[in-house]
Amino acid sequence: MKILGISAHYHDSAAALVVDGLPVCAVQEERLSRRKNDAGFPMHAIEWCLDRGSLDVDDLDAVVFYERSMLKFDRILTCMLRSFPSSWRSFPTAIKNTLGEKVWVRGIIASHLGVPKEKILFTDHHAAHAAAAFLPAPTHRAAILTADGVGEWATLTIGQGERRADGTSSINLHRQVRFPDSLGMLYSAFTAYLGFAVNEDEYKVMGLAAYGTPRMTEQVGKLIQRTPDGAFALAPEYFEFQTTASRSYSSKFVDLFGPARNRYDPLDLDSAEGQRFADCAASVQRVLEDILVSIAAQLKRDTGLSDLCFGGGVALNGVANARILAQSGFERLFVPPAPGDAGCALGAALYADRIYFRNPDRDIPDHPFWGPPVDAEELARAAGEDSQSVERLADAALVEYVVEDLAAGRIVGWMDGAAEFGPRALGHRSILAAPHSREMRDRLNRDIKSREEFRPFAPVVTAEAAHRYFDLPAGGARLARFMSGVFPVRREWRDRLAAVTHVDGSARVQVLERDMAPRLHALLEGYGRRTGIPVLLNTSFNVAGEPIVTRALEGYSTFRRCGIDTLVAAPTVVKKQPSSAARRLMEGTTWVSESAAGSGTV
Amino acid sequence: MRPVHQWVWSDVDRRLRKLLTFADVETDGGRDIVRAAEVTPDPLLRRLYLEHAIDELRHGVMFRERGAALFRARPSRGAVLFSGNPLPGGHGLDDLQIDGEPDHRLLAFLHVAEKSAAGRFAIYRQLVDDDPATREIFEQILRDEVFHMNYTYAQLARIAPQTYRRHVWHARAKRLWHRYLRVAAALAGVLGNTMLTIIYFVLLPPFAWMARRAERREPRGWTPIPSGRDDSPRSLY
Repeated sequence: MKILGISAHYHDSAAALVVDGLPVCAVQEERLSRRKNDAGFPMHAIEWCLDRGSLDVDDLDAVVFYERSMLKFDRILTCMLRSFPSSWRSFPTAIKNTLGEKVWVRGIIASHLGVPKEKILFTDHHAAHAAAAFLPAPTHRAAILTADGVGEWATLTIGQGERRADGTSSINLHRQVRFPDSLGMLYSAFTAYLGFAVNEDEYKVMGLAAYGTPRMTEQVGKLIQRTPDGAFALAPEYFEFQTTASRSYSSKFVDLFGPARNRYDPLDLDSAEGQRFADCAASVQRVLEDILVSIAAQLKRDTGLSDLCFGGGVALNGVANARILAQSGFERLFVPPAPGDAGCALGAALYADRIYFRNPDRDIPDHPFWGPPVDAEELARAAGEDSQSVERLADAALVEYVVEDLAAGRIVGWMDGAAEFGPRALGHRSILAAPHSREMRDRLNRDIKSREEFRPFAPVVTAEAAHRYFDLPAGGARLARFMSGVFPVRREWRDRLAAVTHVDGSARVQVLERDMAPRLHALLEGYGRRTGIPVLLNTSFNVAGEPIVTRALEGYSTFRRCGIDTLVAAPTVVKKQPSSAARRLMEGTTWVSESAAGSGTV
Repeated sequence: MRPVHQWVWSDVDRRLRKLLTFADVETDGGRDIVRAAEVTPDPLLRRLYLEHAIDELRHGVMFRERGAALFRARPSRGAVLFSGNPLPGGHGLDDLQIDGEPDHRLLAFLHVAEKSAAGRFAIYRQLVDDDPATREIFEQILRDEVFHMNYTYAQLARIAPQTYRRHVWHARAKRLWHRYLRVAAALAGVLGNTMLTIIYFVLLPPFAWMARRAERREPRGWTPIPSGRDDSPRSLY
């Protein structure tokens, strides 16, 4: 069967294609439209998926959307009614947004793709999260936990999944916590309060938390209380997200925590104000972790299973994931490379395949590389036309070349094979650098990423050497496969891994096995032979405000605009030359009047 | 329009709102031009677009930093600054789809947009005489705009020597049409909001009362998910 999965209309749209039970490709719309967090209908992604699978729309057996839009509308309308009359300002916008397009998703899909409406199916939002977390994981029986801001009504679900020997699969979500009680919304309210962008910058709150002490957990506890049955409930008077999309927290929230940070104010962690914000971040992080650990521990007791699959946007919180692994009692924790809404495109397609159509279970390749491939020739041509230094090297020579560059302190843009599906750069669209000094971290922040100083960079290490440098618990290496956990850097290595060691001594490490990205693994080994430490700094290949690069030309344009020294798309290597003469050429001419231009003055 | 510009730039809050809006518009425009550089088949245009994009992104940073500096120096920091949409303005490429757009159309659009922006920035420069730092930004940007106007027109003439004037006029007409569409959409938005607000207060009160009653009966904490919940793959509910 050929099944197309789609997620769209909230944030981070995506499409994924599953053929005969196996993913063929998956890509976020932003990676092709080049608009960060593109929430529009993912037409680029769908077209690319169909091209990649060599399929026409008529060949598809089903198109599966990742949520039930009328149920979502029911929630929006109910919340508006419950908060009458204070919701009068947001009511027109909410109604226009949903009735204008979002609820008519069946018609939208049918008209965009030209598929018969009978082929268009829907899953529950959290069922898609659960499928994305469980079905690709290398386990046959696992407990399932999903948590995000909100889907239709559910914000957190628990259940279990099974892939049986007879080829059948099941995903049973037993219980849910419903909107407005939401861990994701709690965290997002703090994200907004701290002056960051909601649905985008939540990871900054996690990074900031390491600079603070959780001295405000009591105040956070007023916002979210545990219910007698072990779940939680938000105190609605502290929030406004349930009535308006323009503000997450109420004035009572501000009374409790003090004035919010304006996003244009620099965050000075040496000031009392900056420290207060860091303490807020640390406090909400601690409360989030405590609740997740307790829910996961209860789930462990209820199911008696040894594996947990965790999906939803909250599963991007690597610090919480590491605590769940350490304290919930589960032996292994699986977080997919795309646990957020984009991953629901793949989850919805797999759910339809295994659960709706009852197709036999198949083991899914355990990697995140489902996106468009890189074209080294395209890079060579563009760089050659711009008089950049271009070389084509065989694999071993290329690795040696890049190792020397990295050892000499140069920054490398690294593109290799198919792009990652999900928010993390896991070695196919990465910026790589030596991990040893704080100066490198500052240089990356200043010349490439233009981002806040408090944000850490992540390391990538070979699986063989991971335990030497990082304090990984049992199951830690698995969690670190897709950079989903934050673990301590061993104390004796922190000075020599200063660029990737966060202020609290931790790192969001990627543990790389050879079969997942052989070329990067060889590079790490080569760097290890050259410097003694097979660890590199690995950050996503993009600049602030832009999606991660997908194609060679996008990598090239990024390379030309920032402080990357060397660009690699094997076998092509481009070395940066001084800025091109194009502008000088044009500045040599005086203003060309519109009437004179036709005479060819250039 | 000069009295309107004067009114905008005479007040610190409006000034910094305008600067921050410009920051976003320039940055978005810069990203669009980066995209143009990535998709053009013409090597010279790729280099020029990249230079142009770097300028626009730098302008975005300059506006943002100046806006932030004014914000920090603002006497009434506690007051609400953004109570609704920021003031409109700038010359971003928000209406333009870069992918699939031929270079001649993009160059004509850029030329017209840059020329219009240069005219407005020249006025703004005069209106911020009391603020040398902001004035200096406009001066720097105006120098860049000359380069942008120059290269877009010259390149348009190069790649479409027979038809470049027509493309410029077409870009001007399209710009006017988009302005009309924006005004029409804003007007439709106001009308729609008014109608929906009337509906809200006239039709919704009894339903709101029922929804509140139902809410009181709803349990907090865990809610069971009925088995067989997902048995209807075609249902939107």
